[in-house]
Amino acid sequence: MALRQTIYILVIASALGLGLNLVSPNRVDFVGNWRDLHDGDGPILPPDVEPGDAPFIAVDVAQLDFNARAALFVDARDPEEFECGTIRGAINIPFEYLPEGDLGPYFDSVLSHLSKDERIIIFCSGEECDVSLHLARNLQALGYTDLAIFFGGSREWERFHLPIERRRQCDE
Amino acid sequence: MRRIVDNDHLTMAVRVVVGGVFVSASVYKIIDPGSFARSIWYYHVVPGSLINLLALVLPWVELAAGLGLMFGVLYRGAVVWVNFMTVAFIAAVTSAVARGLNIECGCFKAADDATGSAWQSLILDGALLLLILQLWFSRSRRWMCARK
Repeated sequence: MALRQTIYILVIASALGLGLNLVSPNRVDFVGNWRDLHDGDGPILPPDVEPGDAPFIAVDVAQLDFNARAALFVDARDPEEFECGTIRGAINIPFEYLPEGDLGPYFDSVLSHLSKDERIIIFCSGEECDVSLHLARNLQALGYTDLAIFFGGSREWERFHLPIERRRQCDE
Repeated sequence: MRRIVDNDHLTMAVRVVVGGVFVSASVYKIIDPGSFARSIWYYHVVPGSLINLLALVLPWVELAAGLGLMFGVLYRGAVVWVNFMTVAFIAAVTSAVARGLNIECGCFKAADDATGSAWQSLILDGALLLLILQLWFSRSRRWMCARK
């Protein structure tokens, strides 16, 4: 009796949930595109990785650090892109706009609240941009030891509907 | 003890409370399955390809089971479902805490807006499970739309 009723409830719920999804304004795909934590996909890598580069992390690893507030997120894109939408709480170090010459004093002032062994996750837009990689190499050279590169960047972050901070509205 | 557990008024009150909790918990998930899918993903216990299916079906199971409890329709099945879902949720939160995931509950609100901690969820669900156990063992069948 209980088993039969349990199955009835499941059948009714499945019919309603799946059926109404076809006409709902908040429709979702029946098979979602969610990355498993240990699905072997691993992080997205740039084509020009060199030995000794900071480790590349997948979106779920970045998300774990984000939730645990265990890392400073650094957006390496230009200020305009940063203001249009970035990982919530990230700071902006626009790699292509950095001052000429010795970058040590600049980084030390921007990251003055951090010691050099605290975790920093660097990202840019996604696979097509490599400023995160170059910024990480510069920080490595200056003695920052716990760096990670989230190469999926803001696009992958947004694709997984993770928290985004927008300082102004921009056209896509 | 048996008389207390079987008390008609107590059983009816628990049916309304537990049923109400499941009905209210189902509403935002039915309205916004995408946000609920994200909440499920945060736990990293369900394979990615099954998350949306679960997000579409589970809230309706909650709603049907909640209404079943309150109105006494498909009652035994509803008791089995609320028991199973509560135990499964406690297991998921415990597993997330054990793995160091800083998850928000996402039980009644979209994950981004949720403020409850995992520990609060565990305490509330432990209390809910106690009430459900009363329903599990109670033989009271008064005030039901369908007696079976």
